[in-house]
Amino acid sequence: MNAGLAVVAKDLRLAWRDRAGWASAGAFATIAVLTYSFAFDLATGDIRPLLPGVLWTTFLFASIFAGGQSFARESEEGTFDALLLAPVPATVIYLGKATANVIAMLVIEFAQLLLATILFDTNLLSPELLVIVFIGTVGAVALTTLLSTMSASMRGRAMLLPVMALPLLIPLLIGAVRATGASLDLESGTAPWTLLLGVFALWSALLSVLLFPMAVER
Amino acid sequence: MAPSGVTSPIVETHGLTKRYGGLDVVRAVSLALPAGSRTALVGANGAGKTTLLAMLCTLIAPTEGDATIAGHALRARPAALRRAIGVLAHQPMLYEEMTPLENLRFFARLYGVTDAEPRIEELLRAVGVWTRRHEPVSVLSRGYHQRLALARALVHRPAVLLADEPETGLDPEGVEMLDELALRAPGLTVIAATHRVDRIGAWATGLVRLEHGRAVEDTASVAGART
Repeated sequence: MNAGLAVVAKDLRLAWRDRAGWASAGAFATIAVLTYSFAFDLATGDIRPLLPGVLWTTFLFASIFAGGQSFARESEEGTFDALLLAPVPATVIYLGKATANVIAMLVIEFAQLLLATILFDTNLLSPELLVIVFIGTVGAVALTTLLSTMSASMRGRAMLLPVMALPLLIPLLIGAVRATGASLDLESGTAPWTLLLGVFALWSALLSVLLFPMAVER
Repeated sequence: MAPSGVTSPIVETHGLTKRYGGLDVVRAVSLALPAGSRTALVGANGAGKTTLLAMLCTLIAPTEGDATIAGHALRARPAALRRAIGVLAHQPMLYEEMTPLENLRFFARLYGVTDAEPRIEELLRAVGVWTRRHEPVSVLSRGYHQRLALARALVHRPAVLLADEPETGLDPEGVEMLDELALRAPGLTVIAATHRVDRIGAWATGLVRLEHGRAVEDTASVAGART
């Protein structure tokens, strides 16, 4: 437990010190939201039905981008080996890194929700939507953290990571978009999208926890 | 130079083999190194030294065979084995954006070191980095990286030090410090891969020579304990 918290604290410290990776993800998300707001303003009168898709495609790409950066640095500096040499199960290392990534992503996402609330003149900071964003982020980051570990030492990892991650994230994307739509009163019907999103997030987190020790085995 | 057979081995390998495709990088290496011994692992480039060390420190899984370090089997209790070893690798394995103090605090916490602060101060003073403990590692020279890597490897007081070319990047003063803290430290068992054959006599109590992955010469193992 203490080792896992040490990894979380270390990753957050590094994210703050070397802001290039997370700042790039944040800048990407900001530019995407701004671009969508200008484009939709010209194309359509009611932009609310498009908001869930805008938010979640932005969040998923930012998560893939930032997750890849986090492991690439560990791999280049050889520090990932140092983590694996610690007398703790690999799962603890994974949980520490994934938790730090979730926290950093939530900061970026909250900023984007704030920006989108202003630009699209719609309240995107309701407690219900924040819960959906949290669940979706946990599911997405769980997978991207695992996949970025696997791709960290590969050539062309910048391209490989999204190619591997996006197909696996489609169920989460559908669940998150639909649940977000429901929270904005855009969905008809009573499908429990938040519950389905939660199930997928839990499944992806458990799967990643189980697969991580195999992913780092050489 | 060969140690006597009376000391029980702290590092034992039994037919340790690593195969990539059809190529045996390390072939059936069996060693029995006594506690407190200092073994120089020598051989040409590609002889299998680094792979053997990587297997011993659990970073690479052996294809065949097993090893025991300080009573912990490589395959059965890897986490317990990792607590018993310190690793000094090619790369210093340090976080460049963090200071020496922060790096050592992180690794001490990872290893559950209870008296972390005095231990860290002791090590940073010993490796000559104490006065630069608040500077980011990225601004320190290669030699300081290696000194700090040594402190990282020793922070949890390992019983066995596995080192790969430990003299790399060190000036004469740094090499002296390496000898004092690690290669000739009393009680510490050392296995170090090295090309500095001129220095082996200064610290090693035995030697294992690898050729094409096979141990062709072994003056380090406990007599009669090898299989």
